[in-house]
Amino acid sequence: MRKTRILLADDHQLMRSGLRLVIERQPDLTVVGEAADGREAVALAKSLRPDVAVMDISMPNLNGIEAAYQITQIHSEVAVIMLSMHPDESYVLRTLKAGAKGYLLKDSAEADLITAVRAVAQGKSFFSPAVSKVLLDDYMRKLKRSGAEDPYDLLTPREREILQLVAEGKSNKEVANLLNLSVYTVETHRSNVMHKLNLKGVPELTLYAVRKGIIS
Amino acid sequence: MHTSNSQPVPSEKAPGPRSQAHRLRTVLLLAFGGLLALMIAAGVSALFSLRRLHVLEQQVSNRFVSHTRALSEVVISVHIYDDQLAKFLLDDQPAEPRDAGTQIAERAAKVHSAIQSYPSDGGPQEGRLLQKIEKSLSEQEGISSALLSLAPEDRKTRAPGFVHEQLLPRSLSILQVSQQIAYLNGEELAKSNQDLLTKFASLQARLKSMILAALAAGLLLSLLGTFYVLRLERQGRERYLALADSRQELEKLSTRLLDIQEQERRSIARELHDEVGQTLEALLIDLGRLSRLAAADQRAMREHIDRLKRLVENSVKTVRDIALLLRPSMLDDLGLIPALEWQAREVSRRGEMEVEVHSEMASEQLPDEIKICVYRLVQEALNNAAAHASAKNARVSLTQVAGKFQVEITDDGQGFDPRRVRGMGLLGMEERVKRLAGQLKIESRAGHGTRIVAELPLTMPKSP
Repeated sequence: MRKTRILLADDHQLMRSGLRLVIERQPDLTVVGEAADGREAVALAKSLRPDVAVMDISMPNLNGIEAAYQITQIHSEVAVIMLSMHPDESYVLRTLKAGAKGYLLKDSAEADLITAVRAVAQGKSFFSPAVSKVLLDDYMRKLKRSGAEDPYDLLTPREREILQLVAEGKSNKEVANLLNLSVYTVETHRSNVMHKLNLKGVPELTLYAVRKGIIS
Repeated sequence: MHTSNSQPVPSEKAPGPRSQAHRLRTVLLLAFGGLLALMIAAGVSALFSLRRLHVLEQQVSNRFVSHTRALSEVVISVHIYDDQLAKFLLDDQPAEPRDAGTQIAERAAKVHSAIQSYPSDGGPQEGRLLQKIEKSLSEQEGISSALLSLAPEDRKTRAPGFVHEQLLPRSLSILQVSQQIAYLNGEELAKSNQDLLTKFASLQARLKSMILAALAAGLLLSLLGTFYVLRLERQGRERYLALADSRQELEKLSTRLLDIQEQERRSIARELHDEVGQTLEALLIDLGRLSRLAAADQRAMREHIDRLKRLVENSVKTVRDIALLLRPSMLDDLGLIPALEWQAREVSRRGEMEVEVHSEMASEQLPDEIKICVYRLVQEALNNAAAHASAKNARVSLTQVAGKFQVEITDDGQGFDPRRVRGMGLLGMEERVKRLAGQLKIESRAGHGTRIVAELPLTMPKSP
């Protein structure tokens, strides 16, 4: 069986070696390269073509968000997992906009890293459970203050289904195949979801799904 | 502003501006008062002198007129007396001697009374001359009364001789004497006039010297005043320059301090985050592995490791919070607005206050100093609102119009009086905004919340 090839990018040797130890214990995973900053990570991603890049969000020279953006622009097949200390919407949204598939809190890196790597390697998204909790709390507080209802209740079951699939990273075509619908119908449902939830673009939709605990 | 109490005293020796102003006022008062008094005194004394001179002149002329009149009185009465006498003596048909006698006696009495009424204020010479007239007159009277007592025939024969030998010479001498008196009078008048002229001249001289003195004093005063004012002006300018210098120094210093503080914070945060934080993270990962490696039956050991993990997790959190407070890595990672939004959510999460962030920004491309300045402003303002004003809601808005960046923070807290309350926090805000050539407005009233607006110019963005 082909092993999942992983690139580690963190400006701290200690952190990288810790992550490497965790990964290498798994028979199906292997670390193919280590980068100490964002620039090096982009270069290595170009030359090594890893399946997954695990990247610290704050790095010298080029930070993780910028590096993730450059990597996914050139090689969309590389799934990026962002390592961060902040369970906060601003970070999650920026990470998603940069094209990353996973958002892993460093606190829980050891416990969730393997799950996250396997999930993104299969084309799914992964978010640390603590993140969705914080995001949901923020969201509920905001709703409560503005007195608005949760627009999630406005979605039909079919729309919820499609929301989840899109948030997991599936394309319109994949969703259509899975649900036995035409691509056009999926498109319509999707734009309805976006409209009802007042979202712009897939990253915001994914963020919303994470917040609501629809995906993790 | 509020810096008046922090002005440095230029020098211990120099008198304070208040005592100096007091001194200057006293000097000016004395000088101008003295000059005015001098001029008034000169004027009043001149007026009095002129008046005295006028009175004196009138006296002199009065005296001359009265003397002349009295003298002519005497002369005329003597003439009439002589006339009467001569007429009686030389007449061919003389009247009754008794009538003539009384008539002549009457004339003589008139002459006496004229002499008596002559003013007695003349000199001794005048008195002597008058006595001479009186004496001549008494002699004439004696002779005439002797003649009157003669028989008419006798009288007729002796009269012409008498008139020629006795009466006429005496009359002549009386006239001469009176001429002498008139001359004396004239001389007296001339002398008095001379006197008056001298007095007038002396008054003129005195006035002249007084005017000269006043002019000189005025000139001196104005010279001194000009000199003094110039010196004051120079001192004031020097002091102002020194003050401006020291203020500029202070401003530079405080800017430098802020820069250093920001640098220090950044390096400490970096150090904390990179060294301590990362080591702890790595430790956490290792602890996780260790716990998994431990055999399932070694429960005590696992629990121990879990406790260690929780401790390390706490430390990681603490270190992260401190590092974020010192230097928000958000600013570098995400940019200003997400960082502000993060800050707003942090405050909201603590449950103290709800914060909304509104942004109408064209771009996020802002100079680093502005980002830091705005971030710290908002941090300070939100802190104040939550901690001191117990606000429930706050709002942060960012706008960018015509080369200006504006941040506005409003809250619904208790408010305060910005003129009296000057905490370090507000001072720090002012300092930060001032060094970016911006303007800070703080509007607050007790019970009406607070509104803080900072306007920062966006010109000359420094090279990254």
